[in-house]
Amino acid sequence: MTTTSEFEPQIVAFCCMHCAYAAADLAGGSRCGYPPSVKIVAVPCTGRVDSLHLLKSLEDGADGVMVAGCLSGRCHFQTGNLYAKQRVEHVRGLLKEIGLEPERLRMINVSAGMGVQFAEHAKEMAEAIAALGPNPLRARRATAPAEVATMEEAS
Amino acid sequence: MVVGGGIAGMQASLDLAEAGYKVYLVEKQSAIGGHMAQLDKTFPTNDCAMCTISPRLVEVGRHPDIELLTDSEVVALEGEAGDFQARIRTRARYVDTQKCNGCGACAETCPVPVPNGFNLKLDQRRAAFKLYPQATPNAYAIEKRGVAPCRDACPTGQRAQGYIALIREGRLEDALRTIKQDNPFPAICGRVCNRPCEAACSRAKLDEAVNIRGLKRFVTDSVYAMPRVAPEPAPRRYDERIAIIGAGPCGLTAAQDLCRAGYGVTVFEALPTAGGMLRFGVPEYRLPAAIVDREVQDIVDLGVELRTNTPVTSLDDLFSEGFDAVLIAAGAQEGIRLGIPGADLDGVLINTRFLRDVRLAELDAAAANPRSEIEGRRVLVIGGGDVAMDVARTAVRLDAAEVHMACLERREAMPASQHEIREALEEGVQIHDARSFLRVVDDGNGRAAGVECQRVEHFEFAADGRLNVQTEADSEHVLPADVVIFSVGQRVGLAFLPEDAGVELARNRSVATDPQTTATGRAGVFAAGDSTSGTAFVIDAVASGHRSAKAIERYLRGEPMSDAPEEKPPVAEPSRSEIEDRVERGEIARAPRVPMPERQAGERRGDFGEIEAGYTEEQARAEAARCLSCGVCSECMSCVHACGVAAIDLDMPDATRDVEVGAVILAPGFEAYRAELSEEYGLGRYANVITSLQYERLLSASGPTAGHVRRPSDGATPKKVAFLQCVGSRDASHDYCSTVCCMYAAKQAVMTLEHEPDTRVHVFMMDMRAFGKNFESYYQRARERDGIEYTRCRISALKERPASGNLALQYVESGAVPDGAEGAQPSCGVRVREEEFDLVVLSVGMEISESVKDLGRRLGVQLDEHGFCHTVRFDPLQTSRRGIYAIGPFREPRDISESIVEASGAAAAAGGLLTRSRDSLTHETVYPPERDVRDEEPRTAVFVCRCGSNIGGYLDVTEVAKYAKQLPGVVHAEENMYACSQDSIAHITQKVKELGANRVVVASCTPLTHSPLFESSIRAAGLNPHLFEMANIRNQCSWVHGNDWDRATTKAKDLVRMAAARSGELEPLTTDQMPMTKSALVIGGGVAGMSAALTLAEQGFPVDLVEQGDELGGNLRQIHFGLDDLAQPADSASGDGAASKSPQEFLADLIDRVEREPRIALHLRTRLAATSGFMGNFTSILERVPTDGGAADGAPAGDGAASRQEVRHGVAILCTGGVEYRGDEYGYGTSPNIVTGLEFEALLAEHAAASDGEPSRPLPKSVAMVLCVGPAERYCGRICCSTALKNALVLKRLDPTARVTILYREMRSYGFKERLHTQARDAGVVFIHYDEARRPEVRTLDAPAPGDSGLEIKVWEEILGDEVTLRPDMLVLSNPVVPGQAAQEMNERLKVQLDGNGFFLEAHAKLRPVDFASDGLFMAGLAHYPKFVEESIVQAQAAAARAATLLAHDSITTGGRVACVDPALCVACLTCVRSCAYGVPKIDGEITGIGGIEGAARIEPALCQGCGLCAAACPAGAIRLMHSTDAQVMSKVDALLLEEVPVEVSPE
Repeated sequence: MTTTSEFEPQIVAFCCMHCAYAAADLAGGSRCGYPPSVKIVAVPCTGRVDSLHLLKSLEDGADGVMVAGCLSGRCHFQTGNLYAKQRVEHVRGLLKEIGLEPERLRMINVSAGMGVQFAEHAKEMAEAIAALGPNPLRARRATAPAEVATMEEAS
Repeated sequence: MVVGGGIAGMQASLDLAEAGYKVYLVEKQSAIGGHMAQLDKTFPTNDCAMCTISPRLVEVGRHPDIELLTDSEVVALEGEAGDFQARIRTRARYVDTQKCNGCGACAETCPVPVPNGFNLKLDQRRAAFKLYPQATPNAYAIEKRGVAPCRDACPTGQRAQGYIALIREGRLEDALRTIKQDNPFPAICGRVCNRPCEAACSRAKLDEAVNIRGLKRFVTDSVYAMPRVAPEPAPRRYDERIAIIGAGPCGLTAAQDLCRAGYGVTVFEALPTAGGMLRFGVPEYRLPAAIVDREVQDIVDLGVELRTNTPVTSLDDLFSEGFDAVLIAAGAQEGIRLGIPGADLDGVLINTRFLRDVRLAELDAAAANPRSEIEGRRVLVIGGGDVAMDVARTAVRLDAAEVHMACLERREAMPASQHEIREALEEGVQIHDARSFLRVVDDGNGRAAGVECQRVEHFEFAADGRLNVQTEADSEHVLPADVVIFSVGQRVGLAFLPEDAGVELARNRSVATDPQTTATGRAGVFAAGDSTSGTAFVIDAVASGHRSAKAIERYLRGEPMSDAPEEKPPVAEPSRSEIEDRVERGEIARAPRVPMPERQAGERRGDFGEIEAGYTEEQARAEAARCLSCGVCSECMSCVHACGVAAIDLDMPDATRDVEVGAVILAPGFEAYRAELSEEYGLGRYANVITSLQYERLLSASGPTAGHVRRPSDGATPKKVAFLQCVGSRDASHDYCSTVCCMYAAKQAVMTLEHEPDTRVHVFMMDMRAFGKNFESYYQRARERDGIEYTRCRISALKERPASGNLALQYVESGAVPDGAEGAQPSCGVRVREEEFDLVVLSVGMEISESVKDLGRRLGVQLDEHGFCHTVRFDPLQTSRRGIYAIGPFREPRDISESIVEASGAAAAAGGLLTRSRDSLTHETVYPPERDVRDEEPRTAVFVCRCGSNIGGYLDVTEVAKYAKQLPGVVHAEENMYACSQDSIAHITQKVKELGANRVVVASCTPLTHSPLFESSIRAAGLNPHLFEMANIRNQCSWVHGNDWDRATTKAKDLVRMAAARSGELEPLTTDQMPMTKSALVIGGGVAGMSAALTLAEQGFPVDLVEQGDELGGNLRQIHFGLDDLAQPADSASGDGAASKSPQEFLADLIDRVEREPRIALHLRTRLAATSGFMGNFTSILERVPTDGGAADGAPAGDGAASRQEVRHGVAILCTGGVEYRGDEYGYGTSPNIVTGLEFEALLAEHAAASDGEPSRPLPKSVAMVLCVGPAERYCGRICCSTALKNALVLKRLDPTARVTILYREMRSYGFKERLHTQARDAGVVFIHYDEARRPEVRTLDAPAPGDSGLEIKVWEEILGDEVTLRPDMLVLSNPVVPGQAAQEMNERLKVQLDGNGFFLEAHAKLRPVDFASDGLFMAGLAHYPKFVEESIVQAQAAAARAATLLAHDSITTGGRVACVDPALCVACLTCVRSCAYGVPKIDGEITGIGGIEGAARIEPALCQGCGLCAAACPAGAIRLMHSTDAQVMSKVDALLLEEVPVEVSPE
């Protein structure tokens, strides 16, 4: 059993190319560090992020999922981030229903110029997830392939 | 034509080329990139300079319409705007850039170290070099000043500098190869050469010539000591055979050359062995026979036939034997017997005969041995030349009882070398100089008993060659001798040449030849060497042999015997002062010649052993190190041998070409101030004082210390670093501010801490000029977050502590004494401090180099006293010669982004001039046809970039690449130093082709800047560009997890795995062409909007210009006084009309031009209501602004159709301006005597225009001004300082008695505006500094006396250390410009981005300063940031140029990454229709949906914005967003989570 201090969470961050991805670039450019557990997946707009993407990520074992879009009302595609917000809320509801902490999913809004803020959000998210501990679905999944491997080795 | 390949020149070239013009980019250096390529980071974003510039370099290098002319200069420019003829001179690069593949083998083998100018001489490079790793063109160059004097002096052009350089490197076999390139007799010449090279050696100007001959000998001594490897025989290529008469140095040289060329060669020699005079004329102690034999053998082994003991008696016999050509190289071996009485007596010998007999006796014991004649006898040698010395010293060795010499010349004028004379004397030879010879005395038995002589007073040769001798009267005397040996010259022995041989003789009985071709009068017969010249030196014979061989070859090939005389390459002879300079800089140390070891006289006179022992390796290296490398390139030919693609030609000539151009943009850049000239800073004297550019290189990962800050004296990491500002700026010889130093020093200070967090950094400055966008916050962060110390002073002394190399700075600190501090003097806030630093960095300013000044003069543009280019007022890029534009620091010191703005602006101006020739000379990039990969399994190639140390310094790139290799679908993975450099780009293309890869992943930086570059590289390999994926392991990994190597490495692997997984899901996408709407919408009718509109209209594009107000002009309506009449130095006031124009006159003209321009549709009282569409096809709704009455002016109320109008446009330029801030700071609004800057300027204008009625109020007698009001505390208002200075000066002009006090935080009069600052001080304006902790306090008195303003201002005065109270008549607040409401509206309507202060946010602060992130939208003017009128004009021109690069195209590409509906799944539920913000999806009744129902969704690719909202919303999953399909998005997530890197899981 891994203890919380050794727990290395996996956090998927869906970032829109126009703001959040650029903000993450800027965080890099200005050397604003954040935990390596945050892994960015670029999407053209957070409006592209489907509820299924969110659910599937958690099912795959992500300890946390972050949707990062433009500032409210400043979506490069006008309304994409608003739809994303709705979907995030919707999925959080679903999580609650199935007994998974809704805090594992959150939406943030940053502009392309907000590198520092992006790093802060990422840090906060990582801390929150660390406090929650591993995604129970991940723990379950982690054992399954191991069994397969053992069987293969045995045969 | 763009002159200067720095970032500005590159940008101008790209903008012009994209807009359809052919561009010649002329760069003086061997690569473009300019100063920016030398920088580590750029402010204020801390972007890596190389990362930012590298894609541009590649773009310029690849652009088909940019012709790059490196190593080139414009030498003349004729003609006029629209029709110039430029003459361009290109220095030889010695490397063919077309052939060179940048492999660097030449630099590796090059033996010549040169101080590396790119690294500011912090380290060395080689004479064969690439300017920097990412250089464009990606080709090496060879630095060669010319032929070294030693080579020039040598008859055979021996590359002495070359083999000396190789000796220094210990590469002796290579050195021998170099020598043999020109001379087949290295060991021989290493001993007996008369060394004309040493006479020419530049080192003699410093101390003593290099012992070149001794070094040559050292090479052969060392190589010949190893077992001999016989040379390969030369392959025979021709049937012709050549006979050579005489196996001396000349004949053998020719034999070698002709044999190598592929001819049959036979050498005829009368004597029993080859070598000629070398073998039989030079005594063994000077030249051992074994050496001669060996070097002869090397020639014989090539395949030369040698027939010894074979005198030739007839030329005809040779021809009849089948020889096709004959070379007479019989030498001059016939000694001369003086025609005096007794010359035929016994005991009288002849020099050559004597020496030959000595040698023959060695070969054949039976031969007569001259020793018997000499031994125990008294010998007298007649003659004073080198041969006479050989004779005399040979006689010594044959045990003569005494050896005497007598000669015509005086001792000091003897023709023998001084060295020979000295050695002869040492060996006991006695010299009787200045004698003439009357007769040989007969001993009565027919044998010589001496020579009767006379003393010579004077002699000379008459014009006809006869000797006239004046002798002393009654000086006859006899020099007694048993043996007399004549050594008074040799002549050609041509006994074998009968009268009828057809070969003419010259008067001195030598063969008459054409000196150029060595041809005699008879066809096929040539003569060379001493046979034609009379006695000469070995090296002359060799040269003559080479010449003759060449001529014979031409003769046999039927080519013309001589061609036009070649232009002799320049001789690189450094002047004495240049050498002294190098000594001064420590590049050369004075050192005498290393003495050549030799045997002592007593020891050597007993035998024929060699006298000189030769250098040891250590001695040779020391002596070689004395070479000054005059030619830089030593011509050693190592590079030529090493180059695998035959790209090097060391004889490449310079070239001149003429090109026709319509306009010229000058971007020659700046030169950093040579701070050595300010001796007080100790640069050049103290090792640890360096310039900011040097420091930049120390910070750079690709710099001399690989990015580690090390101080020069001892390589230690400095713990305390001081930056000294304003070195070469704002001083007695520079009346301007260099603009960038404050910020680059702040950046370097911040970077220092990033490299070494424990460093203490202290900046000594006068003012902090952080006036650009986001500069102020950068500075604040540097101070507050990073703890960089700033002190406001110039240092008063700088001294080196010799023991430590540290530097002690003495400076005056003011304002630092807190109240009541112990020991503080309350009346004075100043004290002197001394502090020690490990390293001092001088923030050097910008100057214009002499060569750029020359360029300006050649081109006839007006320069100011410092060499900066004068430009026309209100047409800020136009120089004094129409059609020539100036940009960048050449105009005024400026930073990168301003230079780029100017570059684009100049492109627009030049484009306006050349509109008619657009597209006439350009071509399109053609990519190979795309390979269809749809049916192939993914084969992914992965390239992992080190990005110098940006990535490689923080995580294990090698490990990541190794890891990538074993990922599913990956067929190849490798690491690259800079994946984006031109060579890597080409390499990726090559590799993809080679591997047949069908997907490419580059793990490097951000796709936002770099993916287009890599996409085009895979297009070049025949892949669809969409089959490309990036892993951003720099911005998302190395830069944010820099403190954790392992986890950064693991995350990089994760990111690469994710990218590789996604690449497997990528599909090729097709695109369509949509017509481009070739018109522009410009919003804002201020100076920026009008300039942008006019610039585009002049390029032929229709423009809709929208202005909300009633009239054009914007803020410029309120500007009455220009800065320029104050800021320009008096001498540069030009005669052009614009110079005298006031801002209001200019505005009136501008409005007039706009109103009369037929291509501009003007919409006053109109605003933008909405915009839809996309780049190339925007549609905007314009609506009339309602007047106060509620109805739009001039339109019937309620007539919606008339008040709304739809315009279509391809691009939009937003120039919505700004307004002067109005807030209640400093009591604004509480008193009529507190006004803003603009209000004050209006009052000044009223008084200045005295005739226009009574001013509203009198001018104040005393004024206080407060700078940095309100928002300007957050961001710098940029123009407020200079405007305040301007207004102060205007007031002083109107009323010289008026008193002005300026209360400032920083005085940011940047660039030439510093002159206003100086003028204001001179005019008596009082300046009081305050800091934000102690702002001035303003109070308005309740009941002021009449005539009293009632204002009271209290401010802390630092130097007094006390509070001062001011009671001015008027307080002027320099309120900054803030973005107007309109910027916010644009943000809402066009979704353009704003920065934290509400100004427009540019796509990239440095590289795309006028572009919005959204395609097709551009910005200019105050809505971007506060700026001066001329800056707005330039920015507007720049925005227009950027817009023109789009409008110049007839179509835009659509499709690709758009949403696609699969009708077979569509239920026509309308979800997509409702969700799309652009209204793109439509239900099309023509399409059949799921289950055969009529109607399904259709999405027009040209309109689709590609956000993917519909795809996410579609409940049926019928919509796919191409390039972001579900599979593509989720492949990354799955790869991250389901295929984790195997980690060791500790058991429970």
